[in-house]
Amino acid sequence: MRGTLSFVGKHIRHITMIALAFGGIVTLCTGSSRAITADDTINIGVVMPTTGSESKAGGYQKEGIELAIKQINDAGGIMVKSKGKKLKINEIFYDDGSDSKKSASLAERAMSSDNVVAVLGGYSTALGTAESVMADRYKTPWITTGAGATAIFGKGYQYAFGTLSPVALIGTTSAEFLGSLIDQGKLKKGLKVAIVVENTDHGVDYVQGFTEWANKHAGYFQVVINEKFELNATDFSGVLQKVKNSHADIFLSDAHLPDYITMHRQYLQNGLHHQMVSYGARGPENAARQALGAGTDYIFSGIWWSNKLPYPQAKKFATDYKAFTGHDVDSWYSAPAYDGMRILAQAIEAAGSLDKTAIRDALKKAQLKDSVLPGQVLKFGANGQTEYPFVITQNKPDNKVDIVFPKDAATGEPVAPAPGK
Amino acid sequence: MDAVEYLDLLLKSLLLASVYSAMAVGMTVIYGVMKIVNLAHAGFLMLGAYFALELFQRFHVDPILGSVLALPVFFLFGMAVHWLLVRWLPKSDTPTLASLLLMFGFLLVLQNIAYLVWGNEDQSILTPRTLSSVQIGQISIPKVNLVVFAAAVICMIILQVVFHRSWFGRSMRALIQNPYAAQIVGVDDQRTARLTFGLGTAFAGFAGGLLGMLFSFSPDFGRPFLLRSFVIIVLGGLESVSGVALGAIMLALLETFGINVPLPVYWHGWSFRYLPPSYQQVIPFSLLVVVLLILPKGLSSLFNRKWKAA
Repeated sequence: MRGTLSFVGKHIRHITMIALAFGGIVTLCTGSSRAITADDTINIGVVMPTTGSESKAGGYQKEGIELAIKQINDAGGIMVKSKGKKLKINEIFYDDGSDSKKSASLAERAMSSDNVVAVLGGYSTALGTAESVMADRYKTPWITTGAGATAIFGKGYQYAFGTLSPVALIGTTSAEFLGSLIDQGKLKKGLKVAIVVENTDHGVDYVQGFTEWANKHAGYFQVVINEKFELNATDFSGVLQKVKNSHADIFLSDAHLPDYITMHRQYLQNGLHHQMVSYGARGPENAARQALGAGTDYIFSGIWWSNKLPYPQAKKFATDYKAFTGHDVDSWYSAPAYDGMRILAQAIEAAGSLDKTAIRDALKKAQLKDSVLPGQVLKFGANGQTEYPFVITQNKPDNKVDIVFPKDAATGEPVAPAPGK
Repeated sequence: MDAVEYLDLLLKSLLLASVYSAMAVGMTVIYGVMKIVNLAHAGFLMLGAYFALELFQRFHVDPILGSVLALPVFFLFGMAVHWLLVRWLPKSDTPTLASLLLMFGFLLVLQNIAYLVWGNEDQSILTPRTLSSVQIGQISIPKVNLVVFAAAVICMIILQVVFHRSWFGRSMRALIQNPYAAQIVGVDDQRTARLTFGLGTAFAGFAGGLLGMLFSFSPDFGRPFLLRSFVIIVLGGLESVSGVALGAIMLALLETFGINVPLPVYWHGWSFRYLPPSYQQVIPFSLLVVVLLILPKGLSSLFNRKWKAA
């Protein structure tokens, strides 16, 4: 044993180099997971974070896409006229590790050397923004199912599409919801609002949406703080102190899941309380409710999808998802991804070939009429981004969640102001 | 801001400093004795958090006790890592590329093992203490932060006593000051290095358990803390345990007050402006550059020089 170790010690540099080379080969081999491709399959690239800080949401999106692929393949595949037969989908999956540089390079690899006809990917805004530049460069349709920032779609890209409604609409819908509570007499006019958002396009859009509504409806709100914080921060005590000193009535944040959990934990620990609290599109996630227990009760969120939506196709999706993954669809992430894959399949069929430009043209015209998303129809606007209404949900005690806005989709009454400690 | 709000900020800074010093101290002792920049420190922090979580979930062990139990377990783990990997590194007075690569590779191994065992879910330790706070007048102090503060202070005191009152501590200090002279006078450098690596890992595991009470965590946990640990070590002096406390306090004060106290700015005339919270991370790195330029041996060297002069 001693001799062996001594050998290792003497040759540590060689062993390290061999280990690194081996590691590199393993990394290259595992950067994507792919099945052996054949002529009778359609290669679709999926770039998502299944490791790193965005892994949870990325994992949910991957599951949504894979459920759609399974359903399409089980039904025989996609009819491609030019081939004269139905072709099955072959998913080539890439884990970007929540790293924007890796995300961009994997999207590039999928489009340039892995022979995919389209790429689905880009959760979150930061990763989606990094990937978005590749679509037009390689003239390959790219659908982001997890980035809703308008900045991505304001650059005139012709091959970029998105299944998330613009983030600005979360801010607008949140303002509209709070405005409706004022109109109902549940809250008083002239509410002081503290806004603290992540320093990304996502956060900027949220603030823009909220302030646009507030400016159009004078007298409803007075924004007393409007601050930004860095993604994946470890400490929010400084910014929360500012919120405390502002003596605001409403606390609005726009944060990703890990920041939402950390910030709200510190919010509660610091004894803060506001009449209404929101973290943008976050709120009902199981991870947060497990981490903070009853501390997340009465938080409201503007989300792209809820399993409480009354549509039959949304209910069926929730049932199929549970059967496929073994767990409930407890958040919105998987639904836009599921519909992203379905509208892509519809566009490929409409294009009648695997020509990428033909698929892009078909995507521009596509309408998914049995969409599981709010509004029930998914289609892309002139800039490539879809636009459908948001629903506002509110966490209730005992892990219950209700849609509380708009009224015609509501499954429960909003509780406002949120009860104190 | 009034006096109470300043006091509130000061208390929050001290509580934050205790978290920072707990996470940085293990890295400091390893660097001091072995000149290894332990990039795997983030992995040890992460494993410490999962260790406390497993004890809490499976055996209902309080996470504070879990963190204390991490000390002996991670001490042995650290010694094993040293025996298996670290001791084969070529000896050097300065950090080597081989040591950086080895520790970075080991961090990746630890992270991937954690992904295999616990998956990519965000985990948290929720106890009745987690969300409760002590109210003193208008100031609210989170109970869990108080516990972390007490634990970190006790650990720093114990480490300081070990450093100055034990044979092992004297050996460590001798190796830090002059490794060649230390060996001439009979210090067993391999044995001391093994024990030091164990000690550094033990403190990382302990700090990980404490951090697990404050934050949600996943296998990727620890990286943001790693960067701050670097800053603290450089601020406090690369080879000083008491300097870690000093560096941590300074960093926490600047981070907290930096965005809450208006600073004089000259822009078309003098005015007072707040630093936006999104620039909070600029503070530690700016400080790092300034200290490296002016006091490359850290803030403690300034005091040492004054004491020596006196």
